[in-house]
Amino acid sequence: MRPYYLLLFAVSAFAQSAATYDSSRQVKLTGTVTKIDWANPHAFFFIDVKDAAGAVAAWALEFGNPLDLEKDSWTRNSLHIGDAVNVEGIPARGPRRQAFAKSVTLAKTGKKLFMAAPRKPVSAAAHEPTPRWPDGQARLGPPPGKKGYWNAPSANALVDSSAGKIAMNGDGVLKNLSDVDRAAPFQPWAKSVYEYRQRTLLKDDPLTRCLPPGGPRQFQMPNGFQFIEQRELGRILVLLGGADRNWRVIYTDGRPQGQADEVVRGYYGNSVGKWEKDTLVVDVVGFNEHFWFANGGLPHTEALHLTERFTRPDLNTLKYEVMVDDPRTYTRPWNGGWNMQWVPNEEIQEYFCEENVEATLSGKESYK
Amino acid sequence: MKRALGWACLAIGLAMIPPGSAQQGHPLTGTWSGDWGATSTQRNHVTFVMNWDGKNVTGLINPGPDSIGLTSVFVDPTTWTVRIEADTKDKLHISAEGKLEDLGSYHRTIKGSWTQGSTKGDFKIARD
Repeated sequence: MRPYYLLLFAVSAFAQSAATYDSSRQVKLTGTVTKIDWANPHAFFFIDVKDAAGAVAAWALEFGNPLDLEKDSWTRNSLHIGDAVNVEGIPARGPRRQAFAKSVTLAKTGKKLFMAAPRKPVSAAAHEPTPRWPDGQARLGPPPGKKGYWNAPSANALVDSSAGKIAMNGDGVLKNLSDVDRAAPFQPWAKSVYEYRQRTLLKDDPLTRCLPPGGPRQFQMPNGFQFIEQRELGRILVLLGGADRNWRVIYTDGRPQGQADEVVRGYYGNSVGKWEKDTLVVDVVGFNEHFWFANGGLPHTEALHLTERFTRPDLNTLKYEVMVDDPRTYTRPWNGGWNMQWVPNEEIQEYFCEENVEATLSGKESYK
Repeated sequence: MKRALGWACLAIGLAMIPPGSAQQGHPLTGTWSGDWGATSTQRNHVTFVMNWDGKNVTGLINPGPDSIGLTSVFVDPTTWTVRIEADTKDKLHISAEGKLEDLGSYHRTIKGSWTQGSTKGDFKIARD
């Protein structure tokens, strides 16, 4: 028996990014399912749509992350090749025949197969004290014998904490473009670049080309992250769930930070950390200029120097504070941050960025 | 045989070098190439290397033994109008003024007018 019932599913920030889809438009399609690709991180189905003249056009329809969909009882058998469906969705920018499906209804019976809903909040762990190592130092990972990871950042973008609240959408796009000046203490060129990225709805975001989200942005990805504390090796690994399962090393063996102009530049920089009571303080230099370091398109140069502070006041909460110092981009150092929430008893999901995934899956250029 | 193998390895190695990634920092930083000339048929290849140091854009034209240092680069970030000044070894003054276009593009361009001594023309360079 087919599970024809209303099904809510999570819409990942990736899946419905402003860079890919134009949320100011809607598209309604009726067609026959020709292919279903139930693969992480982007589930797609494909339909043939016939117009009034009888011409058939193929559409690629994205409908979420399979791992999130499965949590809501959706399975790979919920939709079948040959089903005639009505789809309402958000079309992709540009001429390609692609959309993000907001709802899918069986044409024959009128039954809704699913509707998009906002991402469900991460289920919070019960309030418990900060887990600690035998010597009393706070643990950033799970308590012994348990598993879990960090997710659900309390802010979608990084802004100067002295600016107060600035209204933005989930991608870091300002609700009001006149707030540009408040986001950070920009040099004139940087303000102009940030404003351009905002005005163009982040269309040039390197993340959409599958480049890594270095800097604070790594902690804003939908699939969370995990700390692996290798105390015997004097290092902490940060495993990132939201950016091609990248990883980053924070050295805690007391080594000095390299000179910023000598390190090999990378997306995640060169990190050395030390504990100040219950706070891990991490100094990071050596960034390249190939990425955006926060949602919303804040610019930076190779002179970017971050001081990150990680504090776990209880089991559930990780406080992330960062000081941004890039004198080639900003007129003064500035601070921002947010809290993250512990996701108990789960591992980070597999996620791999797939550029132009719909054409890759279909093998057809017609979607473009 | 060994030489052929060496050339093959070199060719494979060169083929594996990835294309340059986009530079997302100051829009002028990087290497730009294109041409300038008085007419559409009389063109001169030109390469610029520019870098933003936090206060000024510095750089040179045609890196190598005959490179020309930039004496000043003025940028208006509200319009992205760029004016570049330099002097050749022959004491000819170069003044290039143009507009940066496709600000967010991997291969953004600057197009405008070029004056070198008494010669007037136009130029177009694109970021490599």
